[in-house]
Amino acid sequence: MTKSRALHIILALPILFACSKKAAPDHTQLYEEIRHVNKMEFASMAVTKTVKTERTDWYKIGKRIAVYSFDTYLKAYIDLYQFEMEDMEFDEENKTVKVTLPPVNVEIAGRDMDMKKEYENVGMFRTEIDSKERAKMKEKASEDLKKELKGNPEYKQRLEDTARRKARSYFENLFKNAGYTAFIRFSDEITESGDFNIKNYD
Amino acid sequence: MIKALKYIIPLILAASIAFLGWQLYRYMLRPEDIEILPSKPGDVKEMARLCSMEIYNEVSVLDTVNYKVIFAVQKQSGSISFDMENLRIDDSGDTVKINLPREIVEVYESNEKNAWEVIDTKAIGPMAFLRSNKLSSAEENRVKSKIKAKAIRRLYSNGTVRQARKDAVENLNRLMEAAYRKPVMVTDPTPEGNSK
Repeated sequence: MTKSRALHIILALPILFACSKKAAPDHTQLYEEIRHVNKMEFASMAVTKTVKTERTDWYKIGKRIAVYSFDTYLKAYIDLYQFEMEDMEFDEENKTVKVTLPPVNVEIAGRDMDMKKEYENVGMFRTEIDSKERAKMKEKASEDLKKELKGNPEYKQRLEDTARRKARSYFENLFKNAGYTAFIRFSDEITESGDFNIKNYD
Repeated sequence: MIKALKYIIPLILAASIAFLGWQLYRYMLRPEDIEILPSKPGDVKEMARLCSMEIYNEVSVLDTVNYKVIFAVQKQSGSISFDMENLRIDDSGDTVKINLPREIVEVYESNEKNAWEVIDTKAIGPMAFLRSNKLSSAEENRVKSKIKAKAIRRLYSNGTVRQARKDAVENLNRLMEAAYRKPVMVTDPTPEGNSK
């Protein structure tokens, strides 16, 4: 008898709490929709790589110099599939929402297929530059760019900053349409105290 | 005289060997033929694009240009996306009406290792053995522009663009419905895409 009464009280608790205050709107749908978008691109940049070949020896007659260039494209995006329900904190009273977006990622989207001929001077007695040699030059230039990107965070930083600014304004507008003033931050910007990083509100 | 030659010949031989050795040493120590110049970054472009589909392909290329044949393997990367900034939205009525914009199809050479691997080139046609089998950079670029056009055409013909547009309609519909809190109707005026 005592056991059964206790069970009734436990079962009734959620109903009691639910009735004690006005039910908050369910934001699951909004969360699901944002997450469903998957990948959104917010900034891009082309980086030009120039590569030169020169084989000159005293015993060879004529010069053999060629310079080519091509662009590689970098993109900054947000993978919204990483977005979690807990990343939105709604304040229904003030109609505000704190949103923590997944970090901005930078990737190499690809490179130009063709190579622009900047300069070529191949003497009559020298061998022409062939497709295999040009492919090797392009390969080396691409490897060099990858190293450069790893060693020099400047390009990545520029892209990330632009993408964050753009994403912030995009999502602020999105939530504005839903009737909320949004405060957007990114998960990799959270300070030790867990507060919003103020410098990102410039 | 013969006595003198007995000394001169080994001396000449030794000098020649030393000279060749020195040249070989210089050849081994010579700087790399290929020099990579520092990269030049362009301007950062702002955008808000919904990436509907990512593309990855590995294609074999067999083409002829100016009686020269090239056979190569290329890795391609790219995406089909939609510009979310310039959406035409009509939210004056009870239903928000949106037209799905033109798709942005981007196909690049991948940045993976050996993304452009030339297997062979040969000259064909009359007197082929007398002509060079090497493609100039302009000829190679002509081949590559054909590869790119073909890759984009294939995305339209095999239904990849159609699928990307269909996915985009669904995504956009759900996202905008959640944002506007009223019924949204995303219409696709060109479900097969805009190939021209």
